[in-house]
Amino acid sequence: MSVDVEKKNVDPNWEPKILSFSCNWCTYAGADLAGLNRMKYPENVRVIRVPCSGRVNPQFVLRAFQKGSDGVLVCGCHPGDCHYVTGNYFTRRRFLLMQRFLEYNGIDPRRFQARWISGAEAGKFRDTVTKVSNDIKALGPNKKFQESWYKERGESNE
Amino acid sequence: MSDIQQELRKTARELLESGEVGYIIGWGKGRFANQTHPIFVKDPAKVDELVWDDYCLSTLAKYTQDDKYPEKKIGICVRGCDSRAVNRLIQDHQLKREDVYLIGIPCSGKLDPETNEPAKKCVECAHRNPVVYDVLLGSPVEEVPQPERFKEVEELEAMTPDERYNYWADVYDKCIRCYACRNVCPACNCRECYTDQYRVGWQGKQNNRAENQIFGITRAYHVGDRCIECGECQRVCPMGLPLMKLNRKMLKDINNLFGAYEAGLDTETKPALGHYETNDVEEFM
Repeated sequence: MSVDVEKKNVDPNWEPKILSFSCNWCTYAGADLAGLNRMKYPENVRVIRVPCSGRVNPQFVLRAFQKGSDGVLVCGCHPGDCHYVTGNYFTRRRFLLMQRFLEYNGIDPRRFQARWISGAEAGKFRDTVTKVSNDIKALGPNKKFQESWYKERGESNE
Repeated sequence: MSDIQQELRKTARELLESGEVGYIIGWGKGRFANQTHPIFVKDPAKVDELVWDDYCLSTLAKYTQDDKYPEKKIGICVRGCDSRAVNRLIQDHQLKREDVYLIGIPCSGKLDPETNEPAKKCVECAHRNPVVYDVLLGSPVEEVPQPERFKEVEELEAMTPDERYNYWADVYDKCIRCYACRNVCPACNCRECYTDQYRVGWQGKQNNRAENQIFGITRAYHVGDRCIECGECQRVCPMGLPLMKLNRKMLKDINNLFGAYEAGLDTETKPALGHYETNDVEEFM
């Protein structure tokens, strides 16, 4: 029954899949700057550009876990710097609750993170992504909420 | 209690005869003595079908949603929970205050028809008197404070993440996705629910654990800041799932993070996720 049994059988070459929702105006620019500066950050992060961190529906996060992500990162402008003035204030409320709610449902809070990264903070982007990636590598593959889990070994639930 | 029933019928007859309301939504006798169901009374001669007894459990406000542009006012019998549901719908612009005539009835709790014990949702009720009404039948009852509002949530929070996951996975495995919880919920008033949308891809239609988990979490999150804690979702659930434990978790966090909050007490307080403060808790630096 336990979902963490698989931890022992992890392939040594396993790399986590991390999804990063990045705000077009700050974090995406920050990630771009990290690239321009030839900074090295883990390649297991997939960056998805969104117009604003307020665009990120909590359902995106759930769907990401369901479809096979091991971790999700939501990044936006610092509060007060939002291109659309108020977007990230709503994001903040939304994901403060979302993080706790996912934890309540059994997801390790390290698997879902939100961060403010401005367009100039290339170093912070690299550090955040590296930290999240290392954390999730230590946690092992996520088996919770995943439809693959159901397909592979959940038939007895039917 | 039967006095209130007489008074309710009298008020209903007057309202219908004077033409002030088009019809009245109330409770009618079910097949057995311990059952009631919502009824719509149009004819003044039929007001005697209205009852007020120990088993009037259904929350009625959601039924106004089937008649969004009524010719005359809709009369609704409101207890504490119904009145908060009315506030909820008014605040969501799904109902106009001038379109409804609220017959307030203070309620001292109802009985569960199966066990004849006080119903769970009524034991946990913190607002027994209607918070909004046009006429009040009977006299207000004493409110029961609920110091253990979040007790069940705290019990779950004390578990380890894996225990919690397994607990909820067992719950979601039982879910049959009948959407009764959504249909009855006064906060679930979207014209088209995301679960009914196809081609959008929010969620699969399969009834399996992964999809049920997403449904359960999303439903609780959608109503999270607007839940009036009427407990109807849990009452109507044919599989007896503890849905209020999810809703109360959201409310507990809202209370902890953004200050004391109860939905539906008035129509002015904004829902917690519908506004923001620039000095909110900051954890994402």
